[in-house]
Amino acid sequence: MILLIQTLILGIALGGVYALMGSGLSLIFGVMRIVNLAHPSLIMIGAYVAYWPFRLSNIEPMFMLPVAAIILACIGAILYRFVFEREARSAKYSEMTVLLTFALAMVVEGMLGTAFTNTQRITSPNYATEAFFLADIFIPKGQLYASIISIIIISALALFLKYSRLGYAIRATTENREAAELLGVNVNRVGLISFAIGLALAGAAGALVSFIFSFFPSKHWEWIVILMSLVVLGGMGSILGTVIGAFLLSAVAALVGTYFGATWSTLTFFIALFVVLLVRPQGLFGEKPELA
Amino acid sequence: MKKQFFGIVAALTVLLATPTMAEIKIGASLPLTGGFSIAGSKHEQGYQLCVDLINEKGGIMGEKVNLIMSDNRSDPATAINQYERFINVDQVDAVFGTFSSRLSFPVANILEKNGFVHPLPAGGALRIYTQGHQKVFYFQPSAAEYVGATLQGILEDLVPADDKPATAAVVAADDFFANAVEAGLLGMEVMDPADGSVVEDLAPGFLVDAGVEIVYSEKWPEEGFNDWLTLANSIKRSGAELIVGLTASAEEAVQITRALKTVQADPKMVYFSQGTQSEYLEGTGESSNSVLVHTSWHPAVPFQGLLAGESFSNQDFVKAFESAYGQAPDEDSAIPFAVCQGIEQAIIGAGSTGNDAMSDWLKARTLDDPVRTILGRFAWDERGLPKDKPFLMSQWNDGELQFVYPTDEFEGVQSMTYPKQGF
Repeated sequence: MILLIQTLILGIALGGVYALMGSGLSLIFGVMRIVNLAHPSLIMIGAYVAYWPFRLSNIEPMFMLPVAAIILACIGAILYRFVFEREARSAKYSEMTVLLTFALAMVVEGMLGTAFTNTQRITSPNYATEAFFLADIFIPKGQLYASIISIIIISALALFLKYSRLGYAIRATTENREAAELLGVNVNRVGLISFAIGLALAGAAGALVSFIFSFFPSKHWEWIVILMSLVVLGGMGSILGTVIGAFLLSAVAALVGTYFGATWSTLTFFIALFVVLLVRPQGLFGEKPELA
Repeated sequence: MKKQFFGIVAALTVLLATPTMAEIKIGASLPLTGGFSIAGSKHEQGYQLCVDLINEKGGIMGEKVNLIMSDNRSDPATAINQYERFINVDQVDAVFGTFSSRLSFPVANILEKNGFVHPLPAGGALRIYTQGHQKVFYFQPSAAEYVGATLQGILEDLVPADDKPATAAVVAADDFFANAVEAGLLGMEVMDPADGSVVEDLAPGFLVDAGVEIVYSEKWPEEGFNDWLTLANSIKRSGAELIVGLTASAEEAVQITRALKTVQADPKMVYFSQGTQSEYLEGTGESSNSVLVHTSWHPAVPFQGLLAGESFSNQDFVKAFESAYGQAPDEDSAIPFAVCQGIEQAIIGAGSTGNDAMSDWLKARTLDDPVRTILGRFAWDERGLPKDKPFLMSQWNDGELQFVYPTDEFEGVQSMTYPKQGF
């Protein structure tokens, strides 16, 4: 029983980090229909923004979270304006963005490799390797803090989307881009802001990831499958779905790892991706795709 | 227009008529991006430094070395394509091997088919050397399956008999190299992937030979594994006194060390198959204390090699590397440097870049008349594995990677810290 509880705690703690990593991806798809394969590589930039101040001046990685978010938001605005906005009305926009973001991921990887070499990095604040012990159960501090911060950020985003004027516009654009435009929403501006927010989430996730996982420029290829599977499980475009998908898949992977072996835990994400696409392509909270 | 045309023709004629400088072309496909990029980039530095130093001293037999390196993205198919391109398009005279058993195994077939000498910097799995290839030469101590002999030696020679670890947890990356080390430690059968025949039966295994009971074993997938805390928790719950982590990269060694610290595991002894790199120390800090890592190279070992026909010591290498790159080298740069030294000596010894002649010369090396590198002396058996070449065992203590075993071959050996005092 203790092993079961312990495994669930570890899975859920990791799920909080995955939730923030995936929520930006989901938001960008929801509003813009951009399948952003470059999202993990942009998370990597956030991780480097947290890493260097820690390395050079021992600055707490979590203090760098807002800085990483702002830097990535700016990068997002520039990318959207000059790369993604141009073909936004194309019928094949989503398909095009797959190729475009794949190329973007390669470019970001190359630039990071040139700037920082392919050496692995990780920040090491004390709490990253400490845990709270409650009898035989432990809760890793690093993952716990990262999960709490993730939930706070995602909750703030949810409140913003639900109650702010801009949030209304974003939700309206997510639900029906043409109708929103007809009602006077500046969908290009909404797209730009949503893309910037999505990348700000990537930056924030990067700062948290910096003390949980080792990272180096090409590491992002390992993350994309995990992120895609939890976003697809939750429903592409649904932030709530992404959060639930992250906790669910992470907990299941931990259980599989404990009871069936570590080799199978990673496979959990692949299997989930296949099963969801076969059985319920819209995911848990996504919209059912319309038939042409 | 006519004038321009004749101008271009004249320029081309001059260009084509200009005699080209004699040079020796050498190709190397390395994983500069992808999962092996960290080690691959260091291999690039090792090869490049060696070639630069050779060229500074006038090249090999008066010919400059032109090193062509390509990024294979850690992908075996790309590595194969690039070696085929080196041979058929670039028409290289020789090649340097790539990094990792996973990439070296398929590449070995291509190089054998084309009659090229295949000097391997990293490709320890025994299967590479049991395919009957004639021109394979491994530039590290023995095959991975025999790495465990060094660990067994430490358990028998350096650990007090009444305080020896009685139980072990063996966790391994599902990687070519790590699987090979695991096979030796756990006494598994090594199979030929082509026909499923048993190449070697390693039973009962080095750990059983050393009187250690295996209480937990597990593998993690080669890529995409993040659940280190769950794995570390299982290791801790097994109560193993010896933790053997067959890591395929320094990154994995960092992750597992940090996870073991988080769960407050408290073994007597910890051994990893990767982790000599400075990144390991940076990622683990004091948790690295007393962690043992086998290695092919250590900066303190006084090996004497040759470069451009002159004596070139291991310490000369460290100095040249620091001067070129502004940082200390580790074994991922030292091993390819030794490969380059070996090929240079083979070309000089054979008197040509003919791969048959180079191969014959390398095969004729003996322990008394070996190839001399910064990794020490090399002479090979009929499989291409080095003769009488044990691994070194190093141990992290107070931020320094100390060389602790074997104890009687060189100066500079330090006492092994035992038992480990937590993470």
